[in-house]
Amino acid sequence: MVDKIFFAIIAPIFAFLVGLSFMMIKLKVSARIERRYGPPIIQPIYNILKLLLKEGNITHGVMYSLGPVIALAGSILTVLFIPVAGVKLFTGSGDLIALMYMMVIGSLGMALGAGESANPNASIGISRALTLMFGYDLPFVIIIISVVLYYHTTNLADIVAAQAHGHWALWSLPLSAIVGFVVSYGALGEHPFDIVTAPHEVATGPMVEYGGKHLGFLVINHAFHIYIEIALFVDLFLGGATNILWFYVKMFVVFFIMMMFDEVYPRFKIDDAVRFFWKWPTVVALISLIIVLVK
Amino acid sequence: MNASLELLLATPFIGGLLAFIGGKIHRWIRNLIAIVFSFATAFEIIGYYNVSTKGIVWGKLFGSDLILQTNPITWLFLFIVTSASFLIVLFSIDDMRKEEDELKLDAYYMYLLFVEGAMVGIVLAGDLITFFMFWEIMSWTSYFLIIHGGKRSMAAGYKYIIMSVIGAYAMFLAMAMLYAKAHSLVYADVANVLLHSSPTFVIWTVVLLAIGFFVKAAVMPLHTWLPDAHSEAPSPVSPLLSGVLIKMGAYGLFIVLYGLVSVKLASSLMPSVFSTPILLYIIQWLAALSIVLATFLAIMQEDAKRLLAYSSISQIGYVVLGIATGTSLGVAGGLFHALNHAIFKGLLFLVVGAVIYRTGTRNLSELGGLIRKMPFSFVALLLGIIALAGVPPLNGFVSKWMIYEALLQKKEVFLLIMAFVGSTGAFLYVYRLVHSIFLGQLPKKYENVKDVPILMQIAIWVLALLTIVLGVMPGLAMNVIVKGMVFFGFKPIAYNLFGFPQGTAMGALVTVNIVSILAIAFVAMWILFLLFPKSRKVSQYDNYASGQIVTEDLKYNYSYGFYMSFGRVIKPIFKWSIEKVYNYWVEAVKVFGDYYMRRIYTGNLETYNAYIVIIVTLAAAFVLLGGKVW
Repeated sequence: MVDKIFFAIIAPIFAFLVGLSFMMIKLKVSARIERRYGPPIIQPIYNILKLLLKEGNITHGVMYSLGPVIALAGSILTVLFIPVAGVKLFTGSGDLIALMYMMVIGSLGMALGAGESANPNASIGISRALTLMFGYDLPFVIIIISVVLYYHTTNLADIVAAQAHGHWALWSLPLSAIVGFVVSYGALGEHPFDIVTAPHEVATGPMVEYGGKHLGFLVINHAFHIYIEIALFVDLFLGGATNILWFYVKMFVVFFIMMMFDEVYPRFKIDDAVRFFWKWPTVVALISLIIVLVK
Repeated sequence: MNASLELLLATPFIGGLLAFIGGKIHRWIRNLIAIVFSFATAFEIIGYYNVSTKGIVWGKLFGSDLILQTNPITWLFLFIVTSASFLIVLFSIDDMRKEEDELKLDAYYMYLLFVEGAMVGIVLAGDLITFFMFWEIMSWTSYFLIIHGGKRSMAAGYKYIIMSVIGAYAMFLAMAMLYAKAHSLVYADVANVLLHSSPTFVIWTVVLLAIGFFVKAAVMPLHTWLPDAHSEAPSPVSPLLSGVLIKMGAYGLFIVLYGLVSVKLASSLMPSVFSTPILLYIIQWLAALSIVLATFLAIMQEDAKRLLAYSSISQIGYVVLGIATGTSLGVAGGLFHALNHAIFKGLLFLVVGAVIYRTGTRNLSELGGLIRKMPFSFVALLLGIIALAGVPPLNGFVSKWMIYEALLQKKEVFLLIMAFVGSTGAFLYVYRLVHSIFLGQLPKKYENVKDVPILMQIAIWVLALLTIVLGVMPGLAMNVIVKGMVFFGFKPIAYNLFGFPQGTAMGALVTVNIVSILAIAFVAMWILFLLFPKSRKVSQYDNYASGQIVTEDLKYNYSYGFYMSFGRVIKPIFKWSIEKVYNYWVEAVKVFGDYYMRRIYTGNLETYNAYIVIIVTLAAAFVLLGGKVW
């Protein structure tokens, strides 16, 4: 029991630090790709502290303030159900399918908060976010089903355990892994899927009215979001890891590849993004699923 | 002391009549009678909790006994019917006050209680005659309730009753076939006869009965009445239709599939796909198609009640999908979802009814920002949509989880994908609902709107609390469902108060852990949030608009065509609709009637006289020529 509580406190902090470190590295790497020097590496920490300590906060109502709080609470809940480096955390209380729907709580909180800001840019942003989610969710559920059927369990910790000693799902389900990568990437909302925030079109979408500590919370939530998407991919397809360092290295490799994509693509139109996800990723995921079924 | 089954059945009918008569004295006497009798019905079922009684004979018709009986599954549906009806009567008292014609109101309460009584009768029935009798009473009384909603509800009600009648004919045909074989329509006798019948006979019976149930449950392609009827009916009637009445179709399906025909019998009669008898498999596909297509349609609606109506088609799809899986986990999930859907859809319709009560419109693009004026309704709606979307920790999540796991166990992957898609699509339309009504900008005309009166609040909040209670403690419902399923010959599934241990499904679920972690994380983050500098409240017009100043007369809100870009993606699907096919058929009948039948039935007396003369002459000639008429 005590170790459970210990891990329950440590895991979110670890998740936040990992997400934060990725945000830092990304600033530097994208600067170098664009042949800039870039800001100091700890700039994201400055940003968060500045936002949190700002005196001139505004709020549009109770839900507007609660939105970022619910988002963060939902993210912490999700983190505690993703096994990390051999620690099962709470995976015995909720399986992969429950996890899929826990991941939504955070987005729901943010959507409600942004909705109350009474700005059409925010509403359009949320409309886009939900549409995009509907887009990538179809291939996502298909690969989840293939993985579950392949390992005969929905318990994420058992799926990780079954991949021990290099029997990664990446080798046994390569097609699913590719689609999983695309879906995780889409869920992160980087180019070409940065339709939700799209600064030139909807003025950062849901965040348009947010500032001060509210925005600070949302930035922290973004760090969690990066961690959740990539950690889930690592657990599902790269066999998790036995120690924290190895886990971090795997996550970093995945994130680094994603960064490269982010740098070269422009932006999709929203309906084209949905069409994209419902076309090739879905077809490939279905082929992979049928292979699993026939086997 | 237990109320006898006859008394339980008679209470709402007596209440309805008394309410009608009481209304002649004073409207409060009528309201009081309606409340008391609907509460009494709900109270009388307590004694039957988890009890299976032997059938009692209450009459005899065509040599077949008329039987009333109860078992835990009946209790589940009795609970849905009676408690929902009671809350709806409570809600009606204030909501229907705007109706000025007192006579209409007297009739309204009478029909409301009659519908309740009819549904109690359907659930308690132990033979097909009783079932069918109350089924028809339900169809007609609910028709009268629907047409209370004004001019446009007449057309909607007409469509509803026509389709109900078609369904009833199909059921009647099946009953006639069974009666010809068994000479009795008691469930046990029918099951016995079906056991020794040819596969064709069994399939025809089930298909005909299922047509009747699918019309009521609005499973595609027999759903076309529902969006019109549910959205045009008066606000308190919509939750009755969507939450309770369509569940009768699901209940009927359950009785036919597992009371009359068993899975074992079905699998011995026909080939199986994914270890499901093919008939059940087809039903599953219809349900899955309902889920996906109705979700797409709900996303594109601009009318709050129509959105919820399409969502009902989609959610009843989950119920039917679960019931048709044939495994213990799936059927339990389907039945649990029937209960959950009654709760959260009743809740959503009541809140939308409350909004209509205060603002007079259900057009989503005319509303907005009501969170500041109706905070209690907002929180209730929020709970309802979270439950509907199947997000933990509320009740909709648990039942959907059970259905997903059951499909996973059976490897029915394509159905599972469709079920998942329907659930993700639900996020889109439920957010649309909460955003367009309660978030965004508050139009100036709603400055003085207040939250609804206390009786309406009570009705809403009882349901809202139930979503939490059953979400955290699904074991409460499982107590009834699992016991009832054992009564119908299923293997019991392992469960506990807070979820399901490893082994029941492919993974475990402990809801209480999810809830407590979420609550602790929320409180911790909330405290952290309060530690940082306080924020200043600004008006909704103090807003970013690229330097433009937002004023009161400027509508600065995004709520019409919320998912227009998504609409472009799914446009190809909607080029074809079943409604068009039906309308085409209606046109064909009209042409046939107008053009061909009019030639015979000219409406001209001379033509008819001529027919009589011709017939008499022919008959006379026939007799004269030596033919024998008799």
